[in-house]
Amino acid sequence: MTLQHCDSSQLPELKITRKGIPTHRNMAAEAGEDEVLEFKWGKQRGVGGRKKGVRFYESFTFDGVYYALFDSVFLFKEGESVPYIGKLVKIWETPDKSKKVKILWYFRPSEIRNFLEGTVTQYNELFLASGEGPGLTNVCPLESIAGKCNVVCISNDSRNPYPSDKELQMAEFVFYRFFDVGKRMIVDKIDDMIAGVEVKNIFNNLDSQKPVGLVKHDLERKEVSGNVTTSNEVVALMSQKTSQPLIVKPDSKSCDSLVRENAVSQLMLGKTHIPSVGVKENGVSKASLVKAKSSTKLSYGSGAGLEMRNMAKTDVECGNGSIEKNNLRDRADSKKDDLNDVGVLDGQNSKGIVGEKVLEKDKRGGFSKVSSAKVNSNTQNRRLITYDDDDDDNNLKSVAPSSKDKYKHPRAKDSCVEEGPSKKLKIDKKPTNNLFELCKKDSCVEEGPSEKLKIVKKPTNLSKSWKEDSRVEEGPSKKFKIDKKPTNLTKSCKESSSVPSNMEHKLDFHAKEVTRKPDVDKSKWFKAVPWEEKMKNAYELGKLVLLENLDPSLSSSEVQDIIMDGFKESCTAKMIQKTAYSSPHSGQAFVIFRRKETAELVIRKLEEGCFLMSNGRPLVGSIGVPCFPEKKPIFHGHHVVDQLRLMQMQREMKDAVSTSHCSQPNNIEYDMAIEWCVLQERGDKLWKMLYQQQGEELSRLKVKLKSQI
Amino acid sequence: MGSSAEEYAAFEQRVGRTVYFDNLSPQVTESVLRTALDQFATVKSVKFLPNYIGPSNLPQCALVELDSAKKAKEVISMIGQYPFMMSGMPRPVRARHAEMEMFDDRPRKPNRKIKCSWLEPSDPNFQVAKELKNLTRKHSLEIQFVHKLQLEEEEKLAKQQEDTLKVHYKKFKMIDGIMADKTAHRLARKYNLRITDE
Repeated sequence: MTLQHCDSSQLPELKITRKGIPTHRNMAAEAGEDEVLEFKWGKQRGVGGRKKGVRFYESFTFDGVYYALFDSVFLFKEGESVPYIGKLVKIWETPDKSKKVKILWYFRPSEIRNFLEGTVTQYNELFLASGEGPGLTNVCPLESIAGKCNVVCISNDSRNPYPSDKELQMAEFVFYRFFDVGKRMIVDKIDDMIAGVEVKNIFNNLDSQKPVGLVKHDLERKEVSGNVTTSNEVVALMSQKTSQPLIVKPDSKSCDSLVRENAVSQLMLGKTHIPSVGVKENGVSKASLVKAKSSTKLSYGSGAGLEMRNMAKTDVECGNGSIEKNNLRDRADSKKDDLNDVGVLDGQNSKGIVGEKVLEKDKRGGFSKVSSAKVNSNTQNRRLITYDDDDDDNNLKSVAPSSKDKYKHPRAKDSCVEEGPSKKLKIDKKPTNNLFELCKKDSCVEEGPSEKLKIVKKPTNLSKSWKEDSRVEEGPSKKFKIDKKPTNLTKSCKESSSVPSNMEHKLDFHAKEVTRKPDVDKSKWFKAVPWEEKMKNAYELGKLVLLENLDPSLSSSEVQDIIMDGFKESCTAKMIQKTAYSSPHSGQAFVIFRRKETAELVIRKLEEGCFLMSNGRPLVGSIGVPCFPEKKPIFHGHHVVDQLRLMQMQREMKDAVSTSHCSQPNNIEYDMAIEWCVLQERGDKLWKMLYQQQGEELSRLKVKLKSQI
Repeated sequence: MGSSAEEYAAFEQRVGRTVYFDNLSPQVTESVLRTALDQFATVKSVKFLPNYIGPSNLPQCALVELDSAKKAKEVISMIGQYPFMMSGMPRPVRARHAEMEMFDDRPRKPNRKIKCSWLEPSDPNFQVAKELKNLTRKHSLEIQFVHKLQLEEEEKLAKQQEDTLKVHYKKFKMIDGIMADKTAHRLARKYNLRITDE
């Protein structure tokens, strides 16, 4: 039953658009075959609204997670690599039984990069929407909520109860500044209301309840794992899956510390044996983690893990057992070919893991053995890669045939997944973590670099199957691994914050989070400010510079690069589009700098110095004075006899067509048209001659350049 | 790299099937262009080129993407042969092949390396570069001047044509009114001619 449940929740076809056109997730159609996602309304607030019959609520339980008003939540939108984050400010059910939530948005710095104006942001900082305008709030279907998000307000505002250190540590995101969606700028202070919500609801007092909620989930989960120890194996596997990532976390941490201490097997042992080490490790890993953001998540996750441990030792043990099991399995896989001693273990593992779980638990002592064996077997890692394609698969099949459908899901979801990886994908939950672990361990052990690379490649494949991209592929370095690990951790931490059934779904978005490309401006949902407007503003603020003598074939982004190169200044550039009259010798571009001073500095530098580009082009800069279209543009050459003008206009208005036709050579229109053609030709000649002459002048000078770059 | 090369190739194809129109009246809108060209080819997209630096009274220009390069060629040759009017007479529009630099969203040319460097004032090239800069400025002034000249020429022609048109209109109106105001009858009587008033 639990598995089925899982199934139905795995396909998060949630579509919210921030522009306010939410598309409903058809729960009935999706989940109807098996069962509907768990949902329960909480306390009712009132009935009313414009039409009677709208019920407002203060809380609800969705998919096993309790949400209350003013909670922060993740909202997943298909096609977005990262989930949106928002605050529930209103919850209601319409008369036609659709559940709605009003979301007050948080912005990630990347979403509003264009408006940051050089503001330095923290890695996990969010900006709460304020002011008035599109992007402040949206009404979304309740089903688009993908999970709870722990956002803590660290504003020094007197109205804001400052969070405790623990809360801060647990926070996935913090915020203390606001983004005015109307003015499109960052503001530090807010008035008493945002989008009709009182400020006290925006600050911490309510947010602080969230960690409690989290703990609760942990408890829930714990219960599940409690089942593990006692009840049947399928469930055990399930919960193991859920609990395992959690436990893997401390694992990885100890791996990190492994790196440092080089005491591989011993520490490994220590890690599994002494769960309380987690806290310390936590700090360590934080320091060692490259990506700070994920590190907090990590710590948070591990905190949760810890809690869980402390609360139920037995569970922990069981969990440990499962880790071991997984480790064993992976290791065993790698070793299958060569290490006979371990082969015994291995066989057991792959064939009857479920049955063996108890065994393994007992075998914890043997764990060290295995791990040291693993050290030996590191040379076989390459094989591991080829191997576990099918092996894991087999394992899985043999281990938990019933859980297979669950695994199938990711595959169905990611249609782009290639064959090989998809297999891995199926088992991704465990192997991913384990592999990362593995590769970390491996790198601790310091094999040949090629070996390492191979290992890294494995996660890459995996991650590819998760639609991750270049970033992952780019850096198969240790850093990257560490980097990646936390993302898994976050994943698992998120998982831990909800019931198992939600897992895959969460996983999905997490994989996506890794996809985030740092260069992409995510502000696309804000209708991009039209260039004209930007240019006009910049012109008025003196930030606009006209560059001349560029290679006309350059693209705008290349111009930006050139400026970056020459002046170490970032800017927004736009090449001026060529027309029939533009010079073939000199391309022009408007460039908007961040500040007026910068623009002036650039112009002065260009004036005094010489910035030579390819083909002997010195860049020329001047204050940009764009030409703005006139309200009533004059156009010569279209004549209407005055008396007829009115009539024609009426007709055009009425028919709403504008005529166009070829002229026939039997009327006066044709004659006049020919006159225009003659003029056009003459003009063309003139331009051609002009540019030819200019070209000659230029080449005469360019010859004098000694060595061209 | 491969993808950017592909992207670039796709862009080149797009350029191939795009026609550049200028001498467009400000009244021409996308729908006007679409209806005007629908008789020859399927219009895929229309983009007007903004005029950011030229004199503000320059006629509009637009890029019209058609369904194939062949169609683009046909349209260009057709409009080259007959004066083609859009939203007014008698100034015809002009069509040409589009060029890459006309596109706003052109991708980077793959495999291009841009080099640039600051020159030391002691560098022998420094003076030359300075001269080049001045020349560039001079050229852009020249261009502005020619734009102005061209606009003046256009205005002159337009004026002249308007005068002609007025004269023609007067003439036609007179001929048209010859029956109405009995001039024809008067003349007929004078010359002893019989006209039937039908």
